[in-house]
Amino acid sequence: MSDDIAVGGGATPTPDPDGLDGVRMTWNSWPRSKVEASKCVIPVAASIAPIRASPFLVVLPYAPLRCKPPCGAVLNPFARVDFFAKIWICPFCFSRNHFPPHYAGINETNVPGELYSQCTTVEYAPPPLDAAAPPPPPVFLFVLDTCLIEEELGYVKSAMRRAIGLLPDHALVGLITFGTQVHLHELGFADMSKIYVFRGTKEISKEQILDHLGLSSAGVRHGAVTGAPRYTKGPQPNGLHPSTSVYRFLLPASDCDYTLNSLLDELQSDRWPVEAGNRALRCTGVALSVAAGLLGACVAGTGVRIIALVGGPCTVGPGMIVSKDLSEPVRSQKDLDKDAAPHFHKAIKFYDNLAKQLVNQGHVLDLFASALDQVGVAEMKVAVERTGGLVVLAESFGHPVFKHSFKRIFEDDEQSLGLAFNGTLDINCSKDIKIQGIIGPCTSLDKGSLCADSVVGQGNTTSWKMCGLDRTTCLTVFFDISPSERSSQPGIPNPQLYIQFLMHYQNPKGQMRLRVTTITRRWVDGSNTEELVEGFDQETAAVVLARYVSLKMEMEKEFDATRWLDRSLIRLCSRFGNYRKEDPASFTLHPNFSILPQFMFNLRRSQFIQVSNNSPDETAYFQMLLNRESITNSVVMIQPSLLSYSFNSPPAPALLDVASISADHILLLDAYFSIVIFHGMTIAQWRNMGYQNQPEHQAFSQLLQAPQDDAQMIIRDRFPVPRLVICDQHGSQARFLLVKLNPSSTYNSAHEVVPGGDVIFTDDVSLQVFSEHLQRLAVQ
Amino acid sequence: MASSSPPFASGPPRPRPGFAPSANANVAGAPQISQIGRPVPSSAAPSAPLQPSPFSAPLPASSRPGHPQFASRPPAAAFPQGLVASNGPQGLAAPRIPPPTHAQPTPPVGAPASIRAPSPSAASSQAQAVRPFPGSPPAAAASRPFTSPPSSQQFGRPPISHPLSGSPTSQPPFGGPPTLQPPFAGSHPALAGLPTTQLPFNRPPTSQQFGGPPTQQTFTRPPVSQPYMGSQPYAGRPSPPSYVGPPSSQPFPGPPTMGAPSGTPAPAWPSQPRQVLPSMPGNMQAPPRMFGMPPGTPGHTMPPVPPAMGNSPLAGSQISTPSKIDPNQIPRPLPSSSVTLFETRQGNQANVPPPATSNFVVKDNGNCSPRLMRCTMNQIPCTGDLLSTSSMPLALMVQPLALPHPSEEPIQIVDFGESGPIRCSRCKGYINPFMKFIDHGRRFICNLCGFTNDTPRDYYCNLGPDGRRRDADERPELCRGTVEFVATREYMVRDPMPAVFFFLIDVSMNAVQTGATAAACSAISQSLADLPDGPRTMVGIATFDCTIHFYNLGRASQQPLMLIVPDVHDVYTPLHTDIIVQLAECRQSLEQLLENIPNIFENNKVAESAFGAAIKAGFLALKPTGGKLLVFQSVLPSVGIGSLSSREAEGRTNVSSGDKEAHKLLQPADKTLKAMAGEFAEYQVCVDMFITTQSYVDIASISVVPGTTGGQVYYYYPFSALSDPGKLYNDLRWNISRPQGFEAVMRVRCSQGLQVQEYSGNFCKRIPTDIDLPGIDCDKTIMVTFKHDDKFQENSECGIQCALLYTTVYGQRRIRVINLSLPCTSMLSNLFRSADLDTQFACFLKQAASMIPVSSLSQVREHITNLCINILHAYRKYCATVSSSGQLILPEALKLLPLYTLALAKSIGLRNDGRLDDRSYWVSLVTSLPISLAIPLVYPRMIPIHNLTAKEDDESLLPASIPLSSEHISDDGIYLLENGEDGLIYIGNMANPEMLQQIFGVPSVDGLPSQLVLEQFDNDVSKKLNDIVNEIRKQRCSYLRLRLCRKGDPSGMHFMSYMVEDKTPGGLSYVEFLVHVHRQIQTKMA
Repeated sequence: MSDDIAVGGGATPTPDPDGLDGVRMTWNSWPRSKVEASKCVIPVAASIAPIRASPFLVVLPYAPLRCKPPCGAVLNPFARVDFFAKIWICPFCFSRNHFPPHYAGINETNVPGELYSQCTTVEYAPPPLDAAAPPPPPVFLFVLDTCLIEEELGYVKSAMRRAIGLLPDHALVGLITFGTQVHLHELGFADMSKIYVFRGTKEISKEQILDHLGLSSAGVRHGAVTGAPRYTKGPQPNGLHPSTSVYRFLLPASDCDYTLNSLLDELQSDRWPVEAGNRALRCTGVALSVAAGLLGACVAGTGVRIIALVGGPCTVGPGMIVSKDLSEPVRSQKDLDKDAAPHFHKAIKFYDNLAKQLVNQGHVLDLFASALDQVGVAEMKVAVERTGGLVVLAESFGHPVFKHSFKRIFEDDEQSLGLAFNGTLDINCSKDIKIQGIIGPCTSLDKGSLCADSVVGQGNTTSWKMCGLDRTTCLTVFFDISPSERSSQPGIPNPQLYIQFLMHYQNPKGQMRLRVTTITRRWVDGSNTEELVEGFDQETAAVVLARYVSLKMEMEKEFDATRWLDRSLIRLCSRFGNYRKEDPASFTLHPNFSILPQFMFNLRRSQFIQVSNNSPDETAYFQMLLNRESITNSVVMIQPSLLSYSFNSPPAPALLDVASISADHILLLDAYFSIVIFHGMTIAQWRNMGYQNQPEHQAFSQLLQAPQDDAQMIIRDRFPVPRLVICDQHGSQARFLLVKLNPSSTYNSAHEVVPGGDVIFTDDVSLQVFSEHLQRLAVQ
Repeated sequence: MASSSPPFASGPPRPRPGFAPSANANVAGAPQISQIGRPVPSSAAPSAPLQPSPFSAPLPASSRPGHPQFASRPPAAAFPQGLVASNGPQGLAAPRIPPPTHAQPTPPVGAPASIRAPSPSAASSQAQAVRPFPGSPPAAAASRPFTSPPSSQQFGRPPISHPLSGSPTSQPPFGGPPTLQPPFAGSHPALAGLPTTQLPFNRPPTSQQFGGPPTQQTFTRPPVSQPYMGSQPYAGRPSPPSYVGPPSSQPFPGPPTMGAPSGTPAPAWPSQPRQVLPSMPGNMQAPPRMFGMPPGTPGHTMPPVPPAMGNSPLAGSQISTPSKIDPNQIPRPLPSSSVTLFETRQGNQANVPPPATSNFVVKDNGNCSPRLMRCTMNQIPCTGDLLSTSSMPLALMVQPLALPHPSEEPIQIVDFGESGPIRCSRCKGYINPFMKFIDHGRRFICNLCGFTNDTPRDYYCNLGPDGRRRDADERPELCRGTVEFVATREYMVRDPMPAVFFFLIDVSMNAVQTGATAAACSAISQSLADLPDGPRTMVGIATFDCTIHFYNLGRASQQPLMLIVPDVHDVYTPLHTDIIVQLAECRQSLEQLLENIPNIFENNKVAESAFGAAIKAGFLALKPTGGKLLVFQSVLPSVGIGSLSSREAEGRTNVSSGDKEAHKLLQPADKTLKAMAGEFAEYQVCVDMFITTQSYVDIASISVVPGTTGGQVYYYYPFSALSDPGKLYNDLRWNISRPQGFEAVMRVRCSQGLQVQEYSGNFCKRIPTDIDLPGIDCDKTIMVTFKHDDKFQENSECGIQCALLYTTVYGQRRIRVINLSLPCTSMLSNLFRSADLDTQFACFLKQAASMIPVSSLSQVREHITNLCINILHAYRKYCATVSSSGQLILPEALKLLPLYTLALAKSIGLRNDGRLDDRSYWVSLVTSLPISLAIPLVYPRMIPIHNLTAKEDDESLLPASIPLSSEHISDDGIYLLENGEDGLIYIGNMANPEMLQQIFGVPSVDGLPSQLVLEQFDNDVSKKLNDIVNEIRKQRCSYLRLRLCRKGDPSGMHFMSYMVEDKTPGGLSYVEFLVHVHRQIQTKMA
């Protein structure tokens, strides 16, 4: 797809696989018919990064021109323009639209930005309706767990303090702490610390919360509170009344800085007694309900992040994942498989409703879970993912994974996440294309007519809500090709198809933007395999498959992911491989397909498929990140990258194979969630003897340092911050590397091991065995 | 003072804390006082006079025999009881005329003062002796107790009767003075002249009553005063040091000091007591009798007939007659201020206790002090039939923690060690002086169930020749009517609870704006010093409007944290700890908080009140320990659990329901609060409510909570931020500092033959035999009614034992056992002679209160009138048959019953024009009202205060009271009327400007403020008035809500509504009422 990239100036310093459009497709040439599409095995899907940052983005300071309803597509470079008649023809619906008067000056040499052929992605920044009104401030509501041991509480407090220091002065801040009960701190109460206390055991409705907070009557003045919750497009201009109750609980950071800090100083661990043999009572669910209710009343429609800092499982009230009795373990993947987790479905239902409420209000839930045990990420996943929230899973609030990730949210520099709010994505397609749905951090708005009957992920719509998104946020759109009778008639041979992504959002500065990306692809006749092969993107395909399989695993009971993947791969190879029937040795694959089997091999062994090796929380966490990261990053999750460092040669990529281990090499494994620096035995010995500190061994010192630096480079750009593991060959931590390597030599083949090499104690098949089987089966 | 071991620890004495101090203080800088460290402020002064007087009085009396007295009080003697004669033909004018004249002038002044114990008593006793029927009685009577004294007295008495004779009806009473001697003579004539003659005979007795003695009994107040001498309890808010300081400490501390039981009082009292005692001897015999006929009568079968008013047979004439009755001659209470010594038993026989309102000192020698427990009749009818024939109620008023008189011996504490108190193994009755040891002491017979128990080996003791154990006099439990046992583990389901006080303050808009919140905060803040000392005292605080605000007080040195519980439909506590903390630890932050609360909520715009939820939340906070929940509430609970609607308004608009359904509004609106209260009680939470309101708050519904948990309602309507804070503070202070107990259980046992029928009062009852009292204090009274389930032998005694298991504020678990043993009789006349007016009336009062919510007012009034009529009818029918049917004959003991019944019918609770809340409050007040306050509540005391300086000579601090009749009110007068709750100062429109200036600081009636704060100005009148008010406060244990009433405006009307002897639109005058009663009796007789 790189040829689609039309970068202004053409000087791309580093080739960007996602391009300006941020769109990557499994198939860049689309089969014409449904049958042919199904024969392609890999679904027709696009991975889009709707608000990717790019230095070449064109920002237009006026409102877009739209095709007449119901189409509503925005004028784009693919529209045919009749400069004379001042007419443009929509490439989607072929309607003819007159240019409005202010486009009167348009002619061949004077075209507006959106018509530049390289500007397939432009961003409109129309002036706000009310220029005088400052953009609504971002809102941060911290929801802090206090059922923590003193040490953890100390960590979380210091993280909070740091965060408060980083908040923009005008940002509104609120604080909820919870343990056995929920404490909502009224920061705007000057006389003393005032706290609203909600019981942890009882589910309370939004209306009750408002009633309890005395907001229900005051709320009449806000449109937000009256009537049923409704979705509001963009921030309401009147969303914030300075005089109203908003400022009871949410205060500008500059005003409550002192209050918050003193509150934190005084904050103690939950004081309710914990009986022996029991877990602390922790009402995460109610706390989040209260947060959602409060925000719904005060600031519905504006950009809000609920930042939940959770240190343990919810043990009471709605959203409870495990009883307080310690003899009951937190549900495992096995329990879920056997449907033996008593609280699971109830909790899911609760968080599902919470998600709906938050989406209605346009608010984001971020989850920072830091505990050795599970905290219920699996259950809360739905609320986080639907609202486009961030999620970080760490072992402790003192762990760098948490500390650094948490800080990143508030930083406003180059590494800034570019957190945006209140996004709405609309997709227009050429006819014959329908949309099955989206996998990723968004919520279906259930509207639009171009939806496919079969649904994948958030479907039944051509419009999605993304309460929170950032510049790396990535969605996977699944298309359905369903040519109507008429269009299949040869009479109208339009070789191109068009898809337009319209992304409304509130950028980090609070301004409303509309980013429009219009792409075109070619229809090909399904029988023309070569053309299809040419347009195949195996990285995207691997990621899409991974996402698709994860979804199926989640949705379908008894789904055998490994088997499904194997079958798909075999079918794909049968369809697109070159071979003689029944002759495995003759099997070859086009370069565009060549790495796919390896991806599949690694995917089968990855945490996404081998879920029983992980807790449900971890699985949910991995899956959420898989669904929202870019293709490049996702590929790393599936198939980690391995770099090898040694004397006398530059760092080089190494095979993800146990054979890459060598006593005098340092390996740097990037498995996305963790980064492992692995010192070969010899290197480790040298290091232990301190050679690196001796001037004559400066080279060694540099060698040691190089992977560290590279690791830091990776860490710096990544969110959540990966876990950095530094280990030595044969050390206990070495398992973080070994588990990812192809077990080409196991204890069964130990005799073949080269000196300094390593073996993996596993019965798993190696890539070689896998490939052999694949070949054999594909040619049948 | 020995805070730790305190009161009781000291063992022996447990005096009446609260008030004791004062009394002593005055008396002689008693030890207690000194200990307390409180200065003997002004209070001292007032008290001083009182005490001295009581005692001193006796002396004089003794010194000067009867004569002077009699002379002086002629009027009194005259009328006595009884009879109000309507005048029939003859009785008519005569009586009144002569006496009247005397009577009027004299009665007020002379009577009270003159009436000394000795004389009256003497008279009465004699009278009885005499009148009895010609035949046997006299002699017998004489032989009995009274023999010696009576005789002498008798002499005196007869005269009294005499006057009567002259005018049969009027009798000497009024003629009093002269009468004394004439009596004899008089009587004869009387006899001769009229059918009434017998009356005369009978009457004599009656006459006596009228004469000094009787009256005294009924109304003696003074005694009361002493207990309270302390005065401190009522500190006039901040300023008056006199009241402030010590009170709290004393209540309890006092006792401790008592360590030397006798000791403490000794200093103070000693002097006086001694005086008294010495004198007593002489008086000794007298006193008992003094009080009433009872004394004299004890054994007598005496002639039933007492006073009767001659009444002509003519019905027709009657109607007209009423008017002719001289209002001044009809029975009225007469005060007495002297102190008497009352021995509960004498000669192994129960003595009849003096009137509850009189000033007496009890010597417990087997029966309990009547303050703790007294029965409607001092002899128990042998059969249920006899009881029902008498129409009198058989009930017991138990005030288990009643304040003792300062000079009484404290209640002794007995510790049986590990084994616990000795109890009957069948009925579980506690060892008491009436358990009979037999078989050389090896076994004992229970006086309650008759079971023969083995004496535990280590409790064994030989019997002396008299059949008593040799050690009986050394063992309090064998010689005292009341003792307190140290409870063993067996009596505890958990460790004794700490003293926990949780304050709950309404901060809704109304409360804040009317100043109620500020007043409450200030009262609490000032009262903190009065809470019991020590580590076991815990406090907590919360405020509420439509949410509940708790405060975390456990953060030493930090500002309190406000924790809001917003869910008022399903409340909870916001913290596990730190809501209730040790007083010592949080004192400062609490004071700071109380100071801040009014400011914090200054602009509160929340008008709703989640009262029900708030008390529930308070309860939850207290649940682990139990304790007292003190609620300050200002508006109708409108949201959350137990919210109420403004039924009053609905009732008004819904006229169709009319009067018939009106009483429904006096029932709780629903069962929510009742159920909650039951739960509170289960966890030992006692709720007191201070209702500072200016609107309807549906007391009928909310008073259920205090009513079930052993608490009480305080009502300030309409709340005035100017004049009410003083009372609020003093009420609160007394509430928390008075002697009290927690987590109590009470049971009354009685001898076989009787059984407890019902308990009534403020408590929670879960099982039929016991009542649970999460809180019990010295002011709470419980009524226990009995019924027969068997017969008693004529000469047996019926034992009644009340056992109260409770925890002191210092965390000791105690069992207070109160015993009363009364003789059984099969003579109806004995029943009437031994009838106890105060108790019976209290019983009526409580019955009426319990009926109010379930019956229409007219039915209630009719019911109580019938109760009165039935009794009088029974007496007339069975005990006074000989007298003329034209006479209204009243039993001596109950001669004031008609008056009080009338007053009751006109009281706030039974009046048609009252507000719902006033009536509900009245009901809730009455439910736990002590006997000593029962009569004052309906028949208040009115004293003129425009002539305070006039009579300097009076030893009594309080001027004599005047009858509650508008005839006695003049336009140029100023009057103080008090009923133990309210104090009304009535100012005639012609009042002397100089007097106004002196008392109120304003020169004219028009300049008077509408809200009264009684100030003390630098002049004698003002000082005197303040002294009087303080004295009354001490007597009543109540600060009094003082209000100004002016003739001609609503306040004046309000005042006039207390003139119960007047004819009112809806009610009869006293005279008319007597006529009505008489006619009813006649109808029944016919």
